[in-house]
Parts: sequence; C-alpha cells; structure tokens
Amino acid sequence: MSYPMDTGQDCLRAWEAMPWVLQESATQEQSQWLDRHLVHCASCRAEFEQQNRLRLALSLPTEIHIDANAGLKRLMDRIDAPVREETPHRLRSGSWLTRGLVAAVMVQAIAIGALSMKFWSAGEAPAYRTLSEESAPVAAGSIRVVPDASMTLTDWNALLHSLRLQVVGGPNDMGAYTVAPANSTVTTQQALKQLRAARGIRLAEPIVGTP
Amino acid sequence: MNEATIDADATDRMLLQRMSTGDRVALATMYHSYHGRLCRFLSRLTRRTDVIEEVVNDCFWIVWQKAGEFRGDSRVSTWIMGIAYRCGLKTLRQHGDEPVEDDAIPEDRIPSSDPDEDRELRDWLSKGLDRLSADQRVVVELVYGVGHSLDDVATIMQCPVGTVKARLFHARVKLRNVLPSLAGESPVLKESVS
Repeated sequence: MSYPMDTGQDCLRAWEAMPWVLQESATQEQSQWLDRHLVHCASCRAEFEQQNRLRLALSLPTEIHIDANAGLKRLMDRIDAPVREETPHRLRSGSWLTRGLVAAVMVQAIAIGALSMKFWSAGEAPAYRTLSEESAPVAAGSIRVVPDASMTLTDWNALLHSLRLQVVGGPNDMGAYTVAPANSTVTTQQALKQLRAARGIRLAEPIVGTP
Repeated sequence: MNEATIDADATDRMLLQRMSTGDRVALATMYHSYHGRLCRFLSRLTRRTDVIEEVVNDCFWIVWQKAGEFRGDSRVSTWIMGIAYRCGLKTLRQHGDEPVEDDAIPEDRIPSSDPDEDRELRDWLSKGLDRLSADQRVVVELVYGVGHSLDDVATIMQCPVGTVKARLFHARVKLRNVLPSLAGESPVLKESVS
C-alpha cells in the first residue's frame, strides 16, 4: 500500500489516526497530536473534514424503512411455531399415553428387579427339578415304603419305632414314604425284611440309586 | 473502548443472559435496540427491504437460540453484527442477488420529510459507496457508522486484521478521490496510490 499523500511520516500518521479519533477510540495523546498536525497541514485538514462528513452521513438513520414491530411479531411467531407443532392436542394425548406406558413398564421392571433380588438373597433351592439334574440326595440305606391306606398313624409310628427307622421324605403322590435307619445299628436288609413281613405294609423297596 | 460503549455492552450482556432463560421482554428490548443499526448495516449489502427484514430476523433467531452460548470473547454488538453479516451473505447467495442500484429504489422508500441537508448528505454518501466493493462498504460502515475497531471488524467478517486494514485503506482512497467531486469540489490532492 502507498498513501495518497506526497507528504512525510506525520501525514501518514495522521491518515492512520483519523478514523479512531473520529470514533473517539483513539488515545488522548493521539487526538491531541492530530489536532496539532491539522493546524498546519491543509491537506490532512481537508481529508479529516471529509472523513468527518463521511461519519456524519453514515450515522444518519437508514433511508430504508422497515417496521421493527412487525418484524418482531414475525420473529415471535417463528419462535412459537416449533412449540405449536410439537404440542397439538392429539400429539399431546399420544404423549400422555406414551408416558403412561413407559411408567407401567418402569414399574414392572422395578418389581421384577425387586423379586430377583429377593430370590437371589434368599438362596433357596428351586421348587422344581430338571431331568438333567441329579435327584435330591438320599441318605444311604433308605427304603421306600408304601403303607396300606387302612394302617393307622399309631401303628405306622409304632412300626417305625420298633424297627428304629425314621421318615426322611414323603409321602409322595403315590403315598410312598422314604425311611432310613435312625442309627447305624440297624442294617437296611434287616429293616427291609421286617417291613415286608409287617402287617399293613404294601411295598418296601431299597433305594439303590437314581437313574 | 469508551465508557458509553462499556455500559452498552454491560446492558447487552444482561439482556442476553435474560434471553438465555427464555425472557422474551429482553429479546424485544434487544431487537428494538439493534433493529436500526442492523438495517443500516445490511443496507450496505443490499437495498431490498424484504431481504434485509429476513436477515434481521434470521440473525435474531440465532441470537435467541444461542444466547446461552455467548462466551463473552467479544462485545455483544460485535457478536450480533457478525451473525448478521454471515446471515446477510448467506441470504444474498440464496437469492443470487447483488446490491440493488439507486435507480431501482422506489421513491416511496425515501422519506419526503428528510431535511435537504440530510438528503444531500445521503446522496453524496450513496454515490460514494457505490464506487466500493461490498466488502469495502461493510468495513466503512462498521468503522465509521457503527464505530467498531479493526479487531472487531476482523471478528465480524471472520478474516485477518490485515485484510480489514487493506479493505479500509482502499475504500478510503477511493472515497477520497470521488467524494470531493461529488460534493462539487475539486480533489484536494492528486491520487498517488500504486
């Protein structure tokens, strides 16, 4: 760039300072220096006057008239437009339905979670057994016994007591009990023999293992 | 930055903060405060009132949405002017427009109640600005009309300060050549720009 004046450094400095002095953003020192320069430099004085006229012309209200209130109203309408689109009555109803369904699912999920926690913390064995699982452990020497339906409880208890046997399981759906020797002095074979000979016992079979 | 500018910026920041919470009264206040200067600024890019109005609202639509994101790296006015400038360029590209010449402006857009002196000054300015490129007109408007610094203008136009300096320099040289003759005077000095 070269400057449009055939003058020295002072005019160059004045040229650069003019816009900022005019918009009052120049330092006081810069403004005072320019004032002093303009006093004895007709060229810069003319340029400064023209710059000042330019600033005055640019500060005039625009000749293009646009209604600010109407523009603001259109802006507000535009701001409201997306809100209206998102919340019409039908959509809002759907929204409540959706919220209700979501809430129901959440409640169910919480309930399932709580139940899972309860079972997990209880550590109980399940009330069912799969075919691949081993059957519940049975004490060694256990016998499966089916008493006759006419046998009284007193007779049943007396028999078990005399044979030193105790019920460890049953009765199952077929009315069978699992009994085992109460102590090691009784052998399974002896007990089995006596059970089979006892009145009121329909079946007595040793439990030898699970298939 | 003088005291009035600092006060104005503090007010603008307060309004912007309120706008970020959805305060529409603050939006209306700021809209009215900036409407005149934005219209004048944008009129340096185009004379089409429909485009100017569209750009002003595009600008404030963004200001409303981004009020909470203003980081305060510049004055609020610099930020808003930058948005308006970019919206203006985008809209002009969409419309495929160039600035409308003076003779295309309907008479009813020029207020008949203008004092003669103002009308003469406007005419003088308009003819002078017609000799400048759009970028040069924008720089002249921002520096002389709005009172922005070179750094502000660089932020608004998203270009280096050196580019702003060059645009301002060339604009001043051109105006210096044409304005005196437009005012019925002879140029004070002979042109010596290389």
